Amino acid sequence: MSPPWKWLLPSIIAILAVEPSGAQRAGGGSPATPAASPLTQAELKAAVAIDSLTVPTPGEFFKAIDKTGKPNWVSQFRPPTPIGGVNRAQMALNLGTLIADGYIAVEAQDGQQVKNIGRDVLSLAKKLSVSDSVLARGKSITQFAEDGSWDQLNEELEATQNEVKKALEENRDTDLITLVSVGGWIRGTQVVTGLLVESYNPETAKLLRQPALVGYLRGKLDQLPAKIRQDKIVVKVNGDLKNIATLVSFPADHVPTADEVKTLNLASAKLTKEISAGE
Amino acid sequence: MKRFLISLFHLLSFPALRLVLGVVVVVFSGAAALFGADTDEQTKAHSEVLDLAGAFQNDGFKLRDGTWYTQVSQGHPQTLQVNLYSGNAYWFSVADADNSTGLTLSVFDDHGNPVEVQSYQKDNKAAAGFSPDASGLYYVEVSSSAQAATTFCLIYSYK
Repeated sequence: MSPPWKWLLPSIIAILAVEPSGAQRAGGGSPATPAASPLTQAELKAAVAIDSLTVPTPGEFFKAIDKTGKPNWVSQFRPPTPIGGVNRAQMALNLGTLIADGYIAVEAQDGQQVKNIGRDVLSLAKKLSVSDSVLARGKSITQFAEDGSWDQLNEELEATQNEVKKALEENRDTDLITLVSVGGWIRGTQVVTGLLVESYNPETAKLLRQPALVGYLRGKLDQLPAKIRQDKIVVKVNGDLKNIATLVSFPADHVPTADEVKTLNLASAKLTKEISAGE
Repeated sequence: MKRFLISLFHLLSFPALRLVLGVVVVVFSGAAALFGADTDEQTKAHSEVLDLAGAFQNDGFKLRDGTWYTQVSQGHPQTLQVNLYSGNAYWFSVADADNSTGLTLSVFDDHGNPVEVQSYQKDNKAAAGFSPDASGLYYVEVSSSAQAATTFCLIYSYK
């Protein structure tokens, strides 16, 4: 057997490598840096937007809501959604809403619901011919749900979504990626506004301000090939998003009223239902 | 694999086990970084930035699965749009593939005005911590003081 120092020394080096002082800074904080120069209009215009970082996950949205109280996540469950699908565009949109459902189940810490949704996600992924790559994720989701590993589930859901998008890209179905993101965002917005309709909270209402995000998603929809862009459900989604964009585009110092939240909830709920039905 | 190892790392509190796992994380991070990276430089930058972000994960931050690879050099900063939520805390982490020094991260609001961040910088890595007061669009800028272009990988975590 080799002497202990042979593995102990590299281990100490490894620990130093994976635990830099950033960990302490994250917790305790370091002095704020002096502000940089403002970005020019040209720099703002040149800024890159990428789906996997520019679009927040529903889990990220929900995490912010958790801090404003104790949301009744179970109240936002919906009956099992049909996963038949009339065409690939509708299935991609629906897949996005289902993944958002997964995050809701994680927030509610309902293992059975997570497993049910995970199964539906896999079934729908299979219809989109991306099941092979996400099959392993499905197994992980089931295992984490059984173990009650909620933090890991959050990460696994995002990884699943990215795996689906990657598979769509490999299958030359890049255009459907946008629809998965759009579906997830619409369902996430329905859930957050649903919680607010149940129990209004100004702090949570402020989270609804997302003008750039809706603008980004609409821009991506406009770039879709004509065949998909003119699909009945995509036309519907794009049209409704225009209305929704105005509801989430308010100044940073404005707090949406209960009535404004209700209007947004009705709009997002209607759209989620239409996506689910494929009409 | 990387995600699994870091989860274990987070759960275990025994110093000896953490030491051993530290080695495993470092050994396997290269393999894990293969996912999503197209070039050797990207793989290396990804591996480096995951080492940094692992520290934030230990502090309860959740790592986004997405990555942003591109090249940066002195006078040619790169900027990414992100949509953040008030109430959440964020750490943006970046590392380059060439062990160049001088990477810095800055965050700007939707009008392009700089916001104050907590900064970390060491060797070829940098991080910026930020808790937005208002939800919405922000810009994250990566700058370099190196003359030669270097490939970097940016990721972010939140809690």
